[in-house]
Amino acid sequence: MRTIILGPQRFTVRATSALRSLETSGPVAVINAGWEEREDDVGELDAALDHRMRGLRLYYRLTDVLRKDPDFAVAVTAFRGRQDELSGLYRIRLAHAMSGVYAVQRQIPLHPARARHSAAYRAMGDAIAGVRAIDDWYLREAQRLYQEMEVEGGVTTSEVIAWHRHELRELHNDCVAWVFPGGNIRTLMSVLRLFAISVPPEVPVIAWSAGAMAMTERIALFHDFGPEGATETELFDRGLGRVRDVVVFPHARRRLKMDDPGRLGILATRFESADCVLLDDGVVLDVGADGLLPDVARRVGADGLVRTGEDL
Amino acid sequence: MRGKLAINRLRERPDLSAEVVTQFVTKYASPIIEGQRATFLFRGEADEVFVRHRVVGLPDPLPMKRLTGTDLWAATVDLPAGSRVEYQLEVRRGEHYERFNDPLNQRVAHSPMGSSSVCAGQGYQVPDWTQPDPEARSGELVERHIKSKALRRDQRYLLYTPARFNTVLRYPLLIVHDGPEYVQFAAMKTVLDNLIHRLDIAPMIVAFVPPGDRLREYPNHAPHARFLARELLPELEAAYPLVEPPAGRCLMGSSFGGIASVSTAYRYPGVFGSLLIQSASLVFTDIGQDHGGGPYFDPVVKFVNKYRAKPTRFTDRMYMSCGIYEPLITPNRSMVSVFREAGITVKYEENRDGHNWDNWRDRLQAGLSWLYPGPQRYVYE
Repeated sequence: MRTIILGPQRFTVRATSALRSLETSGPVAVINAGWEEREDDVGELDAALDHRMRGLRLYYRLTDVLRKDPDFAVAVTAFRGRQDELSGLYRIRLAHAMSGVYAVQRQIPLHPARARHSAAYRAMGDAIAGVRAIDDWYLREAQRLYQEMEVEGGVTTSEVIAWHRHELRELHNDCVAWVFPGGNIRTLMSVLRLFAISVPPEVPVIAWSAGAMAMTERIALFHDFGPEGATETELFDRGLGRVRDVVVFPHARRRLKMDDPGRLGILATRFESADCVLLDDGVVLDVGADGLLPDVARRVGADGLVRTGEDL
Repeated sequence: MRGKLAINRLRERPDLSAEVVTQFVTKYASPIIEGQRATFLFRGEADEVFVRHRVVGLPDPLPMKRLTGTDLWAATVDLPAGSRVEYQLEVRRGEHYERFNDPLNQRVAHSPMGSSSVCAGQGYQVPDWTQPDPEARSGELVERHIKSKALRRDQRYLLYTPARFNTVLRYPLLIVHDGPEYVQFAAMKTVLDNLIHRLDIAPMIVAFVPPGDRLREYPNHAPHARFLARELLPELEAAYPLVEPPAGRCLMGSSFGGIASVSTAYRYPGVFGSLLIQSASLVFTDIGQDHGGGPYFDPVVKFVNKYRAKPTRFTDRMYMSCGIYEPLITPNRSMVSVFREAGITVKYEENRDGHNWDNWRDRLQAGLSWLYPGPQRYVYE
């Protein structure tokens, strides 16, 4: 099982060389549903993939199902409402828990030798454990909502969905590789679930940005420079899990406060035992059969500093 | 050490001829912004010249002084970085007073009351998302009418639907007091198009509702509240795919429109999940009835006093903003803690501006993105 994780492709294109490095010939299945209405604007992408692209058009298929299956459309509306409600509750709990973590962090002595043995240091560990418990609660609840949606939306009984699933199997059956570009991760995960997409383990995958997030076990949303100001990093969903023990952060330099090691350190500690890996422009991470990242990956440490495995 | 101001350098010149003054005003125009100082200029014959403004903390009228031997008048004030002030000039010639925009200043702001000159302090910039962006797809703005029993009239309003509006999706709803004014003077359609395009805010449906008799209907008026909650809202819910209430229902307004939003939500608790109020006329008294706002504020003060005596959680979330140069800053600051103690989640922002439409325009991104955030947090291209 080979997965190549790339940094954002807008300014530094690595997808072409990554695809060529697979030394395959034949069609490449592409899931760019995260582009939503722009899903069919694939001229540049197709060229970057040596014109081997076979678009699965999952966003178009989603809108087709919504149009043709009114029961599913009603269930989706209800699901979105419940999902938004859950996210709202998660953010409330997270905001309070994280403010507790930061408050305790400010009590830790500055001197490293004293810090390790301070009561505040131990208190922070416990406070972060509280945040992890909230993260776990959210993911459990989110999975429960997905299961409810599958039943209420008739996902396994809908003829329209079954038709699309069948056509998709035919479409990607002979593909020698899969590509998952970036885009809207919420939309991407919705269509992967709806059409029961699973990539055969023996088929290599190239993924970047939102696509890379979808390859991991846990997907985190983050933006320290959004219009509403810095918001706490929040878990969103479970991914396909081809890449293990990692939470990825595409566009890290553009979206994370890299000059705040205290905040970054808490982020890294919160997601232990997974590594927080930064995916900036030009990054190429070739993940082998063990699903683990190579040493060149830039990871955030518990001290908030960024290192590669080679630095250790 | 601060350098000498341009006006003082001019004052010290031995050759202060009409030609030198002409060169000076041509070079600098008005006002001259030097660090955190603003110098207003006027050129012409007069007995007295004043800068007229509504900035709390600065004297109004602000007298200008004539440079000896010239027809140039000047006044210098402190202007903290990021400030934005609207003003006019007033000239007295004998018994005759005349007010007008600064002829040496091209920057003008518009409002229903007319236009004013704009003094933008160091660091202030008109946000780029308020300007038309050819990349942003345009939403649709159409005129609608509704027969209102509550208001006993045919009520006109403007309805905004976002670009790529799709009936299989669900949209939050925003109802805007002084709606056409927000479109005309706060560029709100352009702002919506741009912020939706940038993924800063969720695509939304917006009803821009104009007032009838504004001074009577906006300050805690039962028929107005009934019209919004029991007539307009059901009509929009029936016609458009809206997200679940109350989270997807927001009332918005500035000044008296702010008090109209608060009093409507108060009369129909739980119906509107959020409010966006700007420089709201939240005037109250702690003792007695002497509020100084005139008779139009009587129902406002009565309502706010009643609310302060028994605060309730009539909505979930509230974005409040106010300019620190306007008289309403103190009541707005005071009400933040009252709303919060009632259990309402409040985001409150102040800025160095006054009671005007450009101020309200400049805060739209912060308010709308907090209440109805766009998909940016989900998008990783």
